[in-house]
Amino acid sequence: MKYAKVYFEDVKVGDELPPLVKGPIEQIQLTRYAGASGDFNPIHQDDEFARAAGMGGVFAHGMLSMGFVAQATTDWAGAGTVRKLGVRFAALVRLKDVVTCRGRVLAKSSKDDVNLVELEVWAENQRGEKVVTGRATVALASRA
Amino acid sequence: MPIQVNRGVVGREYPPFSVTLERGKIKEFARAIGDLNPFYLDDEVGAASEWGDIIAPPTFAVTFRDERAGAGALLRDLGVDIARVLHGEQEVEIVRQLTPGETYLCRTKVVDIYEKTGKSGPMAFVVRETAITDRTNEIVATMRHITVVRL
Repeated sequence: MKYAKVYFEDVKVGDELPPLVKGPIEQIQLTRYAGASGDFNPIHQDDEFARAAGMGGVFAHGMLSMGFVAQATTDWAGAGTVRKLGVRFAALVRLKDVVTCRGRVLAKSSKDDVNLVELEVWAENQRGEKVVTGRATVALASRA
Repeated sequence: MPIQVNRGVVGREYPPFSVTLERGKIKEFARAIGDLNPFYLDDEVGAASEWGDIIAPPTFAVTFRDERAGAGALLRDLGVDIARVLHGEQEVEIVRQLTPGETYLCRTKVVDIYEKTGKSGPMAFVVRETAITDRTNEIVATMRHITVVRL
């Protein structure tokens, strides 16, 4: 059921996405994400470097958290449906943090046979603090 | 004494670079996020899909990098050390799905620099936009990337 297809007609404004829980974040995931993305900023790998930079220790790539939010969106809407995703990195994600991604339907529109759903999306840590906030637009298939 | 960023960087266009998308890189990226969606990972599911192949996750285009056009080049031009920067905001717009074997051209431009003072002190926000086009020069995706420099 995880990748079940959602149709435009079945979506209502106010609907919530199933929460996606990621983590606890481990160093190995940050190292793996560095390799996969090509972002080798030592601030995500080297605790001493991150402390010397005044960051109080390593933290996750913002793009990893955005990837989590994208996953929460596509787990619900389907792969290949995202037209737009824009986020702000509101707080740092640290090692051992548990990140829960959430979303809510803000609006629906149809134009030229394209059915768009606008979502508010965000991610919060285990203390309920928002670490990512943003908007997504997905294009959904119609039952018709 | 806060540091200065070189504001002359606004308007700078970095050298275009091309990327040919590798199947293995899509899978490695999806697995690094822990997103095991079969449309990213399973060649058979991809072949049977409307795209005829696996597709890349929505944030994949950030992996399109080039030494002369990436964050390193930006930081050199700004005169800023990597230890001072944070990722502030990111937006991706996807017109068409990215698929393996396709060659894309990426063009990055610095569109704005503005300063604000936050709770941790003065910061500069450097806004870059990247346009990604296919072989026929059609736009497939755009990205907007805001780098925060702690001044």
